[in-house]
Amino acid sequence: MKRDLHQYQGRLPNHGTSSSSSLPVSKDKMMMVKEEEDGGNMDELLAVLGYKVRSSEMAEVALKLEQLETMMGNVQEDGLSQLATDTVHYNPSELYSWLDNMLTELNPPPGAAASNVCLDPILTSPEIVNNNNNSFLTAAGGDSSRIIPASDYDLKVIPGNAIYQQRSQFAIDSSSSSSNNNQNKRLKSCSSPDSMVTSTSTATQIGGVIGTTVMTTTTTTKAAPATAESTRSVILVDSQDNGVRLVHALMACAEAVQQNNLTIAEALVKQIGCLAVSQAGAMRKVATYFAEALARRIYRLSPPQNQIDHSLSDTLQMHFYETCPYLKFAHFTANQAILEAFQGKKRVHVIDFSMNQGLQWPALMQALALREGGPPIFRLTGIGPPAPDNSDQLHEVGCKLAQLAEAIHVEFEYRGFVANSLADLDASMLELRPSEIESVAVNSVFELHKLLGRPGGIEKVLGVVKQIKPVIFTVVEQESNHNGPVFLDRFTESLHYYSTLFDSLEGVPSSQDKVMSEVYLGKQICNLVACEGPDRVERHETLSQWGSRFGSSGFVPAHLGSNAFKQASMLLSVFNSGQGYRVEENNGCLMLGWHTRPLITTSAWKLSAAH
Amino acid sequence: MSEKRIGMIEKSNNKRQRVTQDRPEFSINDHHDVLVEILRRLDGPSLCSAACVCRLWSAVARNDSIWEELCFQQVSPRPSLSLRSVVSALGGYRCLYFLCIRPVLARLPKLLWTRDQLQLSLSLYCVHYYERLYVGAWIGDAPPSSLMFLRKPVNVV
Repeated sequence: MKRDLHQYQGRLPNHGTSSSSSLPVSKDKMMMVKEEEDGGNMDELLAVLGYKVRSSEMAEVALKLEQLETMMGNVQEDGLSQLATDTVHYNPSELYSWLDNMLTELNPPPGAAASNVCLDPILTSPEIVNNNNNSFLTAAGGDSSRIIPASDYDLKVIPGNAIYQQRSQFAIDSSSSSSNNNQNKRLKSCSSPDSMVTSTSTATQIGGVIGTTVMTTTTTTKAAPATAESTRSVILVDSQDNGVRLVHALMACAEAVQQNNLTIAEALVKQIGCLAVSQAGAMRKVATYFAEALARRIYRLSPPQNQIDHSLSDTLQMHFYETCPYLKFAHFTANQAILEAFQGKKRVHVIDFSMNQGLQWPALMQALALREGGPPIFRLTGIGPPAPDNSDQLHEVGCKLAQLAEAIHVEFEYRGFVANSLADLDASMLELRPSEIESVAVNSVFELHKLLGRPGGIEKVLGVVKQIKPVIFTVVEQESNHNGPVFLDRFTESLHYYSTLFDSLEGVPSSQDKVMSEVYLGKQICNLVACEGPDRVERHETLSQWGSRFGSSGFVPAHLGSNAFKQASMLLSVFNSGQGYRVEENNGCLMLGWHTRPLITTSAWKLSAAH
Repeated sequence: MSEKRIGMIEKSNNKRQRVTQDRPEFSINDHHDVLVEILRRLDGPSLCSAACVCRLWSAVARNDSIWEELCFQQVSPRPSLSLRSVVSALGGYRCLYFLCIRPVLARLPKLLWTRDQLQLSLSLYCVHYYERLYVGAWIGDAPPSSLMFLRKPVNVV
């Protein structure tokens, strides 16, 4: 009877005749269960009782029974708890092998390290599931009192057709490179396990370690049809430490990728996937997205091009707008700056580099409608990428804005431009009127960083902006450096940044909006980690970097007034009672952050007097 | 409505007989403009209770000027008339109150109710109006609503 590769070890239905062909592949030494060969010579008396023992092995069986008895007597308090919670996983009628298994289970030989591959919920790589039910590694150097009972730390078998087949075992283990991997390194546990922010200190300390230990066990199911789940106890120390371990694994994997050590990276990425599942909340989501992005990078699966997905990303951005205050903050503060710059002007023109659905402009139009002296004539030029189905989305947005403008009695003019990249723009296309008649403002929300991928892109755009001669140039960007030359630095920075972002989302009640917002952020993560070259568009930079760039192009900062600050603070105190969000002022720019970490920055610029 | 009548009667208790004999009965329900003037001076919760009294009062309470008064009770100087046209175009003061002003007020200390809060509420209201123009165009059936964060109870983490 031929056995296929996914067969588990240990408990085979005993047919007596067995061609022990095609045994599962194993990498390192492991305790092989002794297969039943052409079994004959069963002891008849025991067979009557239901035990199958070969007569030749009777003495050994007796010895082992004695050993087992003494061992069970000696094991400390919690040591046997896993036995209590097991489903039947060994066939005790196969007495010899059963005893073997029990003995090794309770008393693992030192240095038994099987490097099995864990089933990754993210990657559906069809690798062989390696079975080894003998590599029980205890935590903290063999101290069996560290074995924690099953309840909270079970790693259940991941259901699903692609990666789990009925009787396969599921084993996770540390990487094989370290020989002392049954020693659990004592890791400093975080104070807030659900937030990855506080674990940064430990992560940076132990950044280079590969293969910090993960203690798990194998699971076996004896062909349990309905539930297909097993509840093998997992010998983990603590979920807090698990979180730290997760961060370390992420950093180690990134480092492996950096050093082009793809085999180790591959093993680690799978480990991350398993660890991530054991976490909860923000940490789990962030880890999952980062693991997926790393996997894409390792296996060179390129994510779909940004351009194709633009309508989807518009929708996702809408949901992000609704779930959390970042975009609202951006819009309201930029609008305030534009409003103040347009004071007293009769004809105004706004050029928007980030048109999307035009959510920024209703509020500005309303403010213009109600300003003293009456509304000006408002002209809007929206620039956006081409829509995948050739529908004129910019035009539709313009129609809706026109509807609104008519309702609130503001004279409105609209023009939409489709451009693949902002660098394709030219000032002459925009039909600008002389500046005595019309005042122009340029607005860009989360768009400028996409130009940094092409050489000369940002310089061209800044040149175009200078040609436009705006009274104000409002820029909103993420406050983090994700554009460094070294991959590992980018990875670390973005890990902290997105962890903070996801933490801030945790307070939002679950809804479809929230899920969509997380997908929106996940796409950014994917692009940041998995892509390179011109494909990598999420090249965020900090305010100081942008500041020096604008400064060298001839712009000077225009301070956002206290009105903007007040409005922003109010907005945030209405949102979630302001818990956690902070508005800070930094050299005339406003930063919105979560607790101590600034996340996005609104800044305003005008041309210096020389230009 | 009989409360008012009883109130009037109870006040002049000793002159009870005279009231019923000498004066014609006064029913507030016959004088909607007076009712409007009275309702205008109420605060939010009282106004909402008054609107629940009977169908007539509920209909009268839909008069937008009452809600306008409510929105601007503590704001001085009074905003310009152009505001009225803008707000009615966006859906009226009553909706503005329920959708924006009341939740905003609930989350901010009362002392701070100034033009700034009003301006913020107006901006949010305007965005809300704009989003309703997009009904049906989104993933999922519900139209987008950036004011959901004002309506849903919030988990204070």
